[in-house]
Amino acid sequence: MSPHSITFLASFIVALVVAGLVDRLLRPSLRGLLEEITGLPAATDFYLRAFAIVVIFVALAAILGTGHGDIKEGAHFMEYVWSVAGSMQDVFQNLLIVLLVYVTLITVLMAALRREH
Amino acid sequence: MTNERYLIVSYFVSALGSLGLGVAAYRVLRAPFAAIADAVAGSRSAILKRALRVSTIMAAVLGFLSVSYTQHGCVSYENVVKDRGYLVQLNREQLQSAGNWIVYAVFAWCVIVLICLAVWRSHQEQSPRE
Repeated sequence: MSPHSITFLASFIVALVVAGLVDRLLRPSLRGLLEEITGLPAATDFYLRAFAIVVIFVALAAILGTGHGDIKEGAHFMEYVWSVAGSMQDVFQNLLIVLLVYVTLITVLMAALRREH
Repeated sequence: MTNERYLIVSYFVSALGSLGLGVAAYRVLRAPFAAIADAVAGSRSAILKRALRVSTIMAAVLGFLSVSYTQHGCVSYENVVKDRGYLVQLNREQLQSAGNWIVYAVFAWCVIVLICLAVWRSHQEQSPRE
């Protein structure tokens, strides 16, 4: 297995774990909020599923877009770590952007549906 | 496997992979969206459901197609085929682009569902008065 493949696989797994953690951490409170403001169980389900898709796809897209050309045969352990950390930077950056867009969307949803409540 | 054969195989595998991402996203969103569309549009909800299917799959295909092997004519075919690393990188870019476009489409549908919910809520509030 080439160093490039090892780094890619490690980054892929870490990105999936990070995306899963973000989804798991936010899902319970997001579900409660959505159930309260939408009043339609299907809408809650739709927004939760959309959130999961967005978080996972963005994390995977960030990993696929990162090149690991800097790592060579016989690289030291910390060079692998730095390479994975470099790709994690893209994952976190994209996740942050997506979270901000999603929060904006949910805020608009709250404003639109709670006005006459 | 020669680079030329790899290019042919990987191009179509990547196309199928991108299409698969679009179909997967559609299948995840299909059931809750159908319930929302039925609640909001009733018997006229079929157009919304079809639009979700078409747009999600089109977003995936668009992402795949947006990656150019020849950099829009700046690199010759021989130079493209010469480098296996470049071919692998472009396959990854195709999947990345498909994923990004699906995310844009999902966000757009979140906004559409928001509008649908606002309409549905206003109908709900008007119904008791009538």
